[in-house]
Amino acid sequence: MSATIALGKRGLREALRQPDALFMTMFIPLFFLVVNTGQAAEIFPSESTDFLKGQGYAAFQLPITLLLAASFGMAALFLVEEIEGGYFDKLRAIPVPRYAIVLGRLVTEGAKGIVLATVIVLLALPFGITIASGPLGFVLIVLLSALWGVVYAGFMQLIALKTRSAAATNSGGLIFFPLLFLTPNFVPRDLLTEPMEVAATVNPVTYLMEALRSLILDDLDWGKILPGFGVVLALGVVMLFLNVRTIRNYD
Amino acid sequence: MSDNGGPAVLAEGLVKHFTGREGDVEAVRGVDLEVRAGEIFGFLGPNGAGKSTTVRMLTTLLTITSGRASVVGIDVARDPDQARHRIGVALQEAGLDPRQTGRELLVLHGRLFGLDAARAAERAQELLSLVELDDAADRVIKGYSGGMQRRLDLAAALVHEPEVLFLDEPTTGLDPASRLTIWEELRRINGQGTTVFLTTQYLEEADQLCDRIAIIDRGRIVRQGTPEQLKADLRERRGDDDQPTLDDVFLDATGRTRERAAGEVQEVSA
Repeated sequence: MSATIALGKRGLREALRQPDALFMTMFIPLFFLVVNTGQAAEIFPSESTDFLKGQGYAAFQLPITLLLAASFGMAALFLVEEIEGGYFDKLRAIPVPRYAIVLGRLVTEGAKGIVLATVIVLLALPFGITIASGPLGFVLIVLLSALWGVVYAGFMQLIALKTRSAAATNSGGLIFFPLLFLTPNFVPRDLLTEPMEVAATVNPVTYLMEALRSLILDDLDWGKILPGFGVVLALGVVMLFLNVRTIRNYD
Repeated sequence: MSDNGGPAVLAEGLVKHFTGREGDVEAVRGVDLEVRAGEIFGFLGPNGAGKSTTVRMLTTLLTITSGRASVVGIDVARDPDQARHRIGVALQEAGLDPRQTGRELLVLHGRLFGLDAARAAERAQELLSLVELDDAADRVIKGYSGGMQRRLDLAAALVHEPEVLFLDEPTTGLDPASRLTIWEELRRINGQGTTVFLTTQYLEEADQLCDRIAIIDRGRIVRQGTPEQLKADLRERRGDDDQPTLDDVFLDATGRTRERAAGEVQEVSA
């Protein structure tokens, strides 16, 4: 575990040296929040739209912003750079558990995810968004967003380890966009057309989005919150297993 | 001497096959090597001969297709973590994290090798002084020159005071002054009892530094011995009065002519 922490601290030092990268990670998701809300807020006025539970449309869109921001991690690109530059082999030649090498950067992504989600939610509050589930809900929102960031970074690291190519790793990131849009991202699931509802139901990102949305719009509704955490934890275990297996067989 | 009293590095029938889109490639085809504890051993060969592949197998970075290899008596395939504790590795590219400072990188490596924070900081300072990077210690590595990066890479390989140091072309691409600095460091490190396994394409480097050398060509060892022995053998076979150079030995061993070599192996010039 100490090796994982040492490698995680290294990633944090690097992140602190590049605060501008964190700003860019937030800019695009916040841009989508403003644009999507601007386009649809008139269609869904809070007074007559039941699913908004009295809040503005921006509150409904905030989960997408959080998920998008958490999916812009740099771990995989740094890993490819280390593979290409030879530092990855240097780490492999050290007697540390193989899982520490992959977990180190994921720890960093988790810490960055906590900062990002906190800043985004705090930025949203002055614009009339409230966290209906209270302080505990706020913590759960931040935690769930950060955990998703770790899982997604794990998926991207897996592509990096398999392909050892920056171009392929970048392309792999595009997989998230269909997953993000095959969700109830503009309206609740029961208002989607049937094919879209089926697609959203089988898409794990839907349960994350619904958990985050529930924490923003409702009081603590564990029936919606737990599936979100369940999805993240299950995917996290799978990603960690695949990452460790890949690095163990890395030639 | 290694603490088991045996060779520092032993390879027996080492084979590596790669399977790619173009079929099976035999990169190493049965290498036998024995490196004695405390010596500087040179491993020479043309581009693509199998030098780096052999080193990567010996340093646990590549799986072994067949045969066996050990460092200080530890089987690298069966017990890679134990082997990693006993070896230091600096590969062809100076493998460094460009976003860290030199000091941070050395402290991190110390921590990863199990040193406590105070000892890791102390060891980092010792090594920075050893490779004369005190002034640049707190600068980000990205701004280091090629020679500085090589010296830091060497320092990183020494953090845990390894018994065997593997260096894969440590001076390739360096200017003559930086190359001489690395040579001095290697002599000093070897003088402290560390066995050095060095791959190089610079025959002068091998002649200057190495107690014994092996030449690999097309995945097989084609010559092995001290530079003097190899030169003497060639002179005897040719029946010449002139003392051959290590260049002549290399060209003879790899079946290349000076004309061909000038095209294929830049460092071997007439």
